[in-house]
Amino acid sequence: MVKKIGSWNLRSLLFILPVIVVLIFLDFYPIAYSIYMSFTNFGEFHFFNYSFIGLENYIRIIRSGFLWQLLWQNAIYAFGSVALFAPLGFIIALVMNQRGLRGKTFYRTAILFPWAYPAFITILIWQGMLDYRFGIINELLEKIGIKPIYWLGTPGTAMLSIILVNLWLSFPYYSYVFTSAMQSIPTELYEAAEMDGYGPLGRLKNIIMPMLSRQIAFVVIFGFIFTWNNFYIPFLLTGGGPGTSTQILITYSYSSAFSYLQFGIGAAYSVISILVLLVVVIIANHYSKMMTVLY
Amino acid sequence: MKNDKGKYYRRIRMAKRIVSHLFLILIVIFSIFPIYYVLLMSLSPLSNLSQMSVEKLIPNLTYLTTGNYAAILYHYPFLTWLKNTLIFSASATFFGVLLAISSGLALSRMNIPLRKVILYMMLILSLFPFVIMVIPFYFMFSELGLVNSYTGLIIAYSAGAVIFASWLIKNYVEMIPKDFEEAAQIDGYTKTGALFRVVLPIAKPVVIFALVLSFMGPYTDYALAGQLLTNPDMYTMAIGMYYVSQGTVSMNYGTYSAFAVLMGIPIFLLFFAFQRYLVSGFSIAMYK
Repeated sequence: MVKKIGSWNLRSLLFILPVIVVLIFLDFYPIAYSIYMSFTNFGEFHFFNYSFIGLENYIRIIRSGFLWQLLWQNAIYAFGSVALFAPLGFIIALVMNQRGLRGKTFYRTAILFPWAYPAFITILIWQGMLDYRFGIINELLEKIGIKPIYWLGTPGTAMLSIILVNLWLSFPYYSYVFTSAMQSIPTELYEAAEMDGYGPLGRLKNIIMPMLSRQIAFVVIFGFIFTWNNFYIPFLLTGGGPGTSTQILITYSYSSAFSYLQFGIGAAYSVISILVLLVVVIIANHYSKMMTVLY
Repeated sequence: MKNDKGKYYRRIRMAKRIVSHLFLILIVIFSIFPIYYVLLMSLSPLSNLSQMSVEKLIPNLTYLTTGNYAAILYHYPFLTWLKNTLIFSASATFFGVLLAISSGLALSRMNIPLRKVILYMMLILSLFPFVIMVIPFYFMFSELGLVNSYTGLIIAYSAGAVIFASWLIKNYVEMIPKDFEEAAQIDGYTKTGALFRVVLPIAKPVVIFALVLSFMGPYTDYALAGQLLTNPDMYTMAIGMYYVSQGTVSMNYGTYSAFAVLMGIPIFLLFFAFQRYLVSGFSIAMYK
């Protein structure tokens, strides 16, 4: 007989034990270590004799005024991306959801391309395509009479490029999610609406939107959370440049640590990035109860 | 009169169809263009980006060459990078998913102390990117002497994979009716036996999804590998690709494109081979 303690037994503990070990040693310990580092002057000049300096890193970060710039850029990156990829995904799903539309399989397969190819590589491909002098995008624009654009060379267009590349990377997933959500709406509802004389817009407003409101909220919130710390698009496409105009908290944390060798400051930026996200998650949970997936 | 109205509606429907197709064709061009472009570049004799032009977007068969592929395979340490990448990705996938299966099954079907606490922690941790862990991992592994070692990165990558994968498997298994195991237990399986031999095969889509996701992480990681690996013999493809893009390693643009194709195409094909599983794994894991 397996020994029972309360309502659980020792054998089931054995199944979960490895994951608890991972959680403690490879998640909580590093996070605690990061938080501790953010309270020290650990860096190039105090590599072997670093000491606890309390909130000094945070005070320096806030006083520098740079934090507000980073938060602003991070917010533009995350909101800008969600504001493009969620609606585009939704529109594609609406168009694909039409009854009797031919070539659905072809379209669906082609749309999956950006999702299927590793993002790490396609971001670098985009970097070449967006080159000012030789990039194919500017050459194509020239053919239709548009002057070449400094895609990655000026602060505004660099951020725009990042958001557009993120749109390319993300819309397949969102169109897929919205398509399967729309397919879960019973067809009788559409038919009933048609009988009642609703046109396409009426069906959108009175059936699709209300039926999918929960999924839409979920997708938008998760899109934001995922984009907030999505490191590789700014890191590979612009490297945070020109200047620091496309740095976000997580990329700046990484460069502080590994390019400027200020590990304490770098850790502090990553802690701030996590805190912002936690606040967003708590607020989102308050309104949409997404944590109820646990019950 | 009635006939006219029918015609009118038919015309509207026609117009709607045409607009829909035009829209979708534009989206298709947008989505496949970069991949078409890199494939074409990899087959063109280009020493740098400036030699690419709009006219060359239409392939000319006499002009295409496989020279870039020969160059990346024989003149650069591509095969070493590939070997290292496969060692890291395959080991991390194996350990990560193995642990995830065990904990996913346990969390969904067994009574576990502090179950809810563990689940909350996993959910919150799965929101945070791997990059956040790079600074602490760098110093932890330095202290343990695990810089430039396979073990260090495999441990880090397995940990990166296991949390999200457990979460996915747990969610999926919870949707499987308990009748299957109960029937199996009547047939003489133990409770654990029923879980592994009856429930696990039903959960195949999500296990495949977890395998592919866990494989992808290390396959395209630069953030941690770039810091922990300083010995060129241990470089992965992602590190190689990053250095070429930064100009640290100089390479013809055509050869670079061939590199991008060789590194990306296996994942691309894997994705389409398992598309059915991936897509159902995704949707079910995200919404319960």
